Amino acid sequence: MKGLLLSLTLVVGAASAHAAAPIAQIGAMLAKPEQLCGRFDQTKRLAGMRKPLVSTGRFCVVAGKGVLWRTIKPFPTTLRLTRDEIIHMQGDRVSMRLDASQEPTVRMINGVLFSLLGGDLGQLETLFDVNGSITGQTWKVDLKARNAALARAVGAISLEGGAHVRAIQMTEESGDQTSIVFSDIKTGPGAALPEEAAQL
Amino acid sequence: MITQRRLALAWAFIVCLLIGHNAWLWLGQRIVPDTDILALLPLDKRDPVLQQSFTHMVDSAQQRVVVLVGAKNWNDAVHAAEAYRKVLTPHGALLTFDAMSDDTQAGWLASLQPHALLLVGAAQEREMREQLPEFWKSDALARLYNAFSGPRIGAFRDDPFGLFAGWAQERAGETPVRPRDGRLFVAGEGRDYVLLTYTLQGSAFSLGAQDAVVPLLTQAADAARRVAPDADVVTAGVLLHAAAAGRQASSEIHTIGVGSLVGIVLLTWLTFRSVKPIGLTLLAIGIGFLGALSVCWLLFGQIHLLTLVFGASLIGVAQDYGIYFLCHRLRADPALDSTALLRRLLPGLSLSMLAAVVGYMGLALSPFPGLRHMAVFSALGLVFAWLTVVCWFPGLISGRTLKAGWLAHNYRKLMPRWPRVSKQPKAIALVLLVGVMAIGGWLQLTTNDDIRSLQSSPPELIRDQIKLSKLLDAPSPVQYFLVRGASSEEVLQREEALKSRLEVMIAQKHIAGYQALSNWVPSVRAQAERRRLVENTLLADGGPLSLLAREIGEDPQWAVDTAAHLRTNARPLVIDDFMRTPAAQPWRHLWLGAIDVGGVPTHASIVALRGLRYASLPLLASAAKGLDGVQWVDKVGGISAVLGSYRETMGWVVLGAYVVVFAVLFPRYRGRTWRVLAPTAAASLLTLAVLGYTGQPLQLFHVLALMLLLGVGVDYGIFMQEESAGGDDAPWLAVGLSAASTILSFGLLALSGTPALQAFGLTMLVGSALVWLFAPCFSVSKESIHATPVLV
Repeated sequence: MKGLLLSLTLVVGAASAHAAAPIAQIGAMLAKPEQLCGRFDQTKRLAGMRKPLVSTGRFCVVAGKGVLWRTIKPFPTTLRLTRDEIIHMQGDRVSMRLDASQEPTVRMINGVLFSLLGGDLGQLETLFDVNGSITGQTWKVDLKARNAALARAVGAISLEGGAHVRAIQMTEESGDQTSIVFSDIKTGPGAALPEEAAQL
Repeated sequence: MITQRRLALAWAFIVCLLIGHNAWLWLGQRIVPDTDILALLPLDKRDPVLQQSFTHMVDSAQQRVVVLVGAKNWNDAVHAAEAYRKVLTPHGALLTFDAMSDDTQAGWLASLQPHALLLVGAAQEREMREQLPEFWKSDALARLYNAFSGPRIGAFRDDPFGLFAGWAQERAGETPVRPRDGRLFVAGEGRDYVLLTYTLQGSAFSLGAQDAVVPLLTQAADAARRVAPDADVVTAGVLLHAAAAGRQASSEIHTIGVGSLVGIVLLTWLTFRSVKPIGLTLLAIGIGFLGALSVCWLLFGQIHLLTLVFGASLIGVAQDYGIYFLCHRLRADPALDSTALLRRLLPGLSLSMLAAVVGYMGLALSPFPGLRHMAVFSALGLVFAWLTVVCWFPGLISGRTLKAGWLAHNYRKLMPRWPRVSKQPKAIALVLLVGVMAIGGWLQLTTNDDIRSLQSSPPELIRDQIKLSKLLDAPSPVQYFLVRGASSEEVLQREEALKSRLEVMIAQKHIAGYQALSNWVPSVRAQAERRRLVENTLLADGGPLSLLAREIGEDPQWAVDTAAHLRTNARPLVIDDFMRTPAAQPWRHLWLGAIDVGGVPTHASIVALRGLRYASLPLLASAAKGLDGVQWVDKVGGISAVLGSYRETMGWVVLGAYVVVFAVLFPRYRGRTWRVLAPTAAASLLTLAVLGYTGQPLQLFHVLALMLLLGVGVDYGIFMQEESAGGDDAPWLAVGLSAASTILSFGLLALSGTPALQAFGLTMLVGSALVWLFAPCFSVSKESIHATPVLV
């Protein structure tokens, strides 16, 4: 009866700390568009590997719908998160599907990812200790998981941005590092390409 | 006269011994009646491993109170759950909260990391057999590049093909409960729920614990609803059902009990103008009960609750002896000495006691310990009660103690007008008509031994129970597979054989899934097989790992190093090591370990089933066929089967008892013997017909009532056939009074909401009323007695 925890199953908290002053300011700097799409450049440095792994692609965050994460180079894969499921496709093949009815944490995971890409700091604060600083028009935020299980799963995360999140840096306990930089950001209706809109 | 006084004194001495022994048993030894229905099974059918599995599955569940506190959003649910917990926190001595440490949440996978290479999910194991290296290479690549890929544990190099993660995902799928913010979380029906589990410190069946805990749970639920008005609180536990049954029983004791007491007091007063006879009758029955209990305990060293309940009711027959004596005393000449009166009544009294005792001894021939105990208990009870009447009543009741009341005056007038069985066409037609009606009823008679039809929990409790097991997707605690073997390895291998059959059942939607230790700890054989598979398909030179190295521009050495790194996490997992990890905590009850069976250690485990469909039970039962050491266990079905075989055996015993009683009575009544038994036989047959017409399926409790009916009915038959000591109507009065008391004490149970008691009561109500009506029909007038009665 006692629960099991999956590394992926982010352990969601209910802490209701009020946003500290800089966090509130950063929140005010962030535009919260209905649609947010753009290009990403990702660099991974993994334990035991000499060369970094570089990939690029497009992403879309649509309020109320979900997140689409399309790697284009070096080869096409798509990750789609909607309210009730997580689907991972390699080309046209579905390589993984998690359903909310089977995996109750799907909604929580999607919520976290949505907050991360959209920069919803208020939501992130329920899970992480959030420390922020502002320099001119840009801000930087460090996230430290509030509980051990989550820390083990995602490690330390830092976000940078202005009106939108510009970069994400993730350092896992295992030593694997991921850094993602966003560019070509478009907002509002029409931000999503037709093929992207069709998928969400 | 002097002999009578000596007898009374000797009996007083024995009664003192009985009271002393009982006081010692109940107060000193604090004996508790056995309540496990399966303990009523014949000894050779009991099995220590099976018993142990019940202990693991049922007994621990019995002590648990499970609560779900839910709301539309998680935060409200958490606040409501906190409010709930706060009410119960000060009462840790009654209910302890089963807390979960943060460490357990985070640490369970880490403890299995050293075995990661050998822990592979079923789907991926299949893919390893089927897919080409290219598949695994692109799978690993996707995992490598994706920022938010599927489940992943540790660094990429710890699990490049996602095998351990897939396995962990599969294990997590065995329960929908997830840790969330240091609490346990389940989602369902549009709500988020916090799961709280409590362990009861006292027994779930202890009235004290029920009285203390149930109001607290209600208070806690109210507190939760005050915090979050839309909160949904679902509570389940054996305690709640036991408390509900207790509440029902006590409210019935108030209504039915008071009703029957008032009735009996009124009846006695109207007959004797004194309530002293009630005290005397109770005295006889009470001594019968104490005596039976003492001797049974000395003989068997234990007593089952069912024995106690039915044994005690069978002793109820003993009231007849007292009433018989009292009615004759009332009608006899006051100048006649009570001792002399008793001497005259002794043949009839002895015979009715003997007939009942001999009849009940038939129960002792059955292979069921419960019925044997019941036979000894009730026979002893009757003997003790009878001795009380014979030794004490003459001394306690003198010729002038009793005066005829209104009822005694008027009731006698009925007797001469009563119809008799004769060869007149009218009488024959009536008998035929009744016979045809009876046959009509029998044809509609069905049987049902399902224990669940005896359940009478309030609907809201059952609704909560169903909702809870749906939300938690909990496995059935009463239906499962029991797997045993000579070693833990053999048990695990047998589990694996069973699981391959269960997979088919899952595909056919008969079950949703299963829980088994071998999911966590594969057999040594399976681990070796997997190791080979992983080596051959994934780690081999030129395999997926080498292809991957080339693709991402790493040198061949990287593949070699990664393979070597993976092999450091390939330590075989053994059950004892696993049991020490935090991951084992929720599954410990499935492993029975080594059990000593007649000096031979047997290892055993349980494979539990989730999402069991009732209609699929027979199919599941057959899934174990042909598998060595695998046994299908259905405790509900088992209890029903016990009830069924008791019903059948008991039915034959009732028939046998008629034959035996006939043989006992024959030497005294000769050609009239059939007249003694006919009223009871006819009443029993008609009662069965009534059950048929009212659509009540026949079950054990009806048949037990028929046995009791035989006991009382034979008494009435004997009384009516005995030569009256006083006026002609003393037997008729005794029968009437006795039958009315039986109806008031047992028959009123027909109003009970407890199905077992209701069945018993209804049979007694209809049966004793009919015996009462029939008894005079078979009596003969004094002149027509040809044979002189002789005492056996």
